[in-house]
Amino acid sequence: MARARVFVGLKETLGRLARSGPIPVFAVTAADAINAVRDLGLRREVEIVATPRHASVLLVAGRFGEGPIAGLSQIHDQLPLPRLTVRWNGEVLAEIPQARLVAGDVVELVDRLLALDAEILAGALASESPLLPDVDAVEWRGVGPYGHGGSGMTGGTPFGRPLADRAPDRDGLELDQLPVSVGPWVGALPAGLELHVKLQGDLIQGVEVGPKVAVMAPVDAFVRALDVPTPVKLLEVERARHHLRWLADVLVVHGLSALGLWALRLAHDLSPSDRSEVERLLSAVRKSGVIKLVVGRIRGGVVSPGVVGTGPIGRAAGSGDDARLDDQSYQELQFQPVIGETGDTAARWNQRMAEVVQSLDLAARAEERTAFGSGCVEGPRGLIVSKQPPASASLLEVLPTLLTGLEWGDAVSVVWSLDLDAFATSVVLLPSGTET
Amino acid sequence: MNALASVVFVALVLLVATYLVAVIDATIMIRVSRGRGYTGVWMDPIARAARLMMQRGSRTERPDLQVWFLAPALLAGLGAVALASIPVAAAVHVADNGAGIVLFGAAMLQVMVAVFLHGWAANSVFPMLGAFRMAAAGMSMSIPFSLALITTALPAESLSVGAIIVSQEGLWNVVRQPLGLPVYLITALAFSFWGPMQLPDAADLAGGTTAEISGVALLVWRVARIGVLVALSAMGAAAFLGGYLGPVLPGWLWMMVKTAGLATVMVWSGHHFARMRIESVVFLGWTLLLPIALVDVFLSGALTL
Repeated sequence: MARARVFVGLKETLGRLARSGPIPVFAVTAADAINAVRDLGLRREVEIVATPRHASVLLVAGRFGEGPIAGLSQIHDQLPLPRLTVRWNGEVLAEIPQARLVAGDVVELVDRLLALDAEILAGALASESPLLPDVDAVEWRGVGPYGHGGSGMTGGTPFGRPLADRAPDRDGLELDQLPVSVGPWVGALPAGLELHVKLQGDLIQGVEVGPKVAVMAPVDAFVRALDVPTPVKLLEVERARHHLRWLADVLVVHGLSALGLWALRLAHDLSPSDRSEVERLLSAVRKSGVIKLVVGRIRGGVVSPGVVGTGPIGRAAGSGDDARLDDQSYQELQFQPVIGETGDTAARWNQRMAEVVQSLDLAARAEERTAFGSGCVEGPRGLIVSKQPPASASLLEVLPTLLTGLEWGDAVSVVWSLDLDAFATSVVLLPSGTET
Repeated sequence: MNALASVVFVALVLLVATYLVAVIDATIMIRVSRGRGYTGVWMDPIARAARLMMQRGSRTERPDLQVWFLAPALLAGLGAVALASIPVAAAVHVADNGAGIVLFGAAMLQVMVAVFLHGWAANSVFPMLGAFRMAAAGMSMSIPFSLALITTALPAESLSVGAIIVSQEGLWNVVRQPLGLPVYLITALAFSFWGPMQLPDAADLAGGTTAEISGVALLVWRVARIGVLVALSAMGAAAFLGGYLGPVLPGWLWMMVKTAGLATVMVWSGHHFARMRIESVVFLGWTLLLPIALVDVFLSGALTL
């Protein structure tokens, strides 16, 4: 009895202590919620983690298309107990009907998360049960005393998993080639991107891009500017904000989470007057060696203007295409695009960092000028034309060529440098119900 | 010290030092990220630890369970053994026998084994890639690390860490062997897999060897990793900065200040320098640090003679 009281007391004390720290959250995010989840990561009460194993809360955010969300049940069951699921600004989940629904902004979500977390830590709320049975995909047992060996062990599919094939490596040796699937929800890759890779050690010998996740399309300032002339100041601040958020993501992936958080803070409240602070951040990024000593050393990952001729990726490869050149307001501002040369990973980093500063400069000088509104817009990823898939969508098709032959770490650097929208070519619906 | 007192002493030192390093890490993180006004750094590590203690552990499909459970304990044990070989004040030590620096070096080189097992045992792709990285980085840094360390024994003409500290009464080794401390610190980053050398548990592997663990196992792993960093910092202070030697203040306080200083430098590097590519780490170890470490040995040997 006394031992039980001590145990309960200890649990209560640990619960109280745990509540004073951040709630680890793993996010499964649709396209329209990516920025909101980034803003959530700025709150001290929450920590966005890269793997479900480190999380207490599974957050499913934004509007997905019809049907089950790829991999959601598996991710749910990977969260350690006690766990709970929160559905933020979206429909009830068919896979996890007990998920708590939250509608509203980040403040409302954080308040609800704190309340739910306090309940579950105190034991007042039951942890969610597994969704899938804990059994082997395929029953299999070898002939040895520990279930090892047997004819199926070489060339078979034990437990339903194909064994590694052998294939020549880059030195001509025959080595095991392990087939693995990564994504679509893992912190190492952009949200929604699923890759099926063949690995020899950490060397990628083959890549296929997995099925794309269907989501509802986000409607941002650039999409609105397709039909309505929009203030240049607004567009350029949004462009700089987009690039800073990209920078925040890639800095975290390259081990610079503090600088990433700084970039995210700047992006959140960005205005043209923040230029000097932005330049301080960019200087710190350059001093970190990430461009010269890390991404600059990657052999491969070059995107030619023939693949994507517009946007920062095209301009980093030497293309001069930019829809802003044809707009009168930008002509009055004497806009000239920043143009790179090499089209490699480092060039894409330099391109976007230069365009952040350029956009803030344009925004500061734009006054009341408006731009676009006639069916095409220069978006932060490139040209956007009404009723056509974005030019950046073609990047998914060239991923296998870009990544094959790279080590895993380099491949991740290349993927993030492309600022992929893995949802871009999915079947999407605008809120009005019109297909795009 | 008797055996029980020694274990309690080392465990306490490790826990307190680990907590302080976690606070330093959180403070630098907030400063660099411009998170103004946050005052929770002292409570933050405790809150995170409490949450992990309340979480259940995770299982993957057919892990090597014994190895998976033992790897965090092995890492913590190696940090403790390494720390035990370092005197915290004059004649206050747990295991600085006649070859303390060899014991320390042996423990640190085994870190590579602990991390490899931790990644391999999970039976999952990201932890396994993390294990590969640790093997590559550890093997590349082992020789420069050992050479930089063992060179400090030359002026002392002893392998005892206490004797190495005493030999620095007139002149610290950081001045006598200027190549030693930079080589030691860079290689120490690899063995503590911290900052630019945070390869096995990196973000591009969604946590690497920790990608599949949760709860107490994750807590022990994180504490052990900081423990290894503390041990490496303490040995850096002892071997290159005169250990407990210093004016006015008591010896143990000098030792603490110097250890904290080196730990801060290593933690600071993690927030300011990007994680290196594995190829660059291997290149750095074999083609730059190894020749520098050899020059360090030859110069120090010549000066000692």
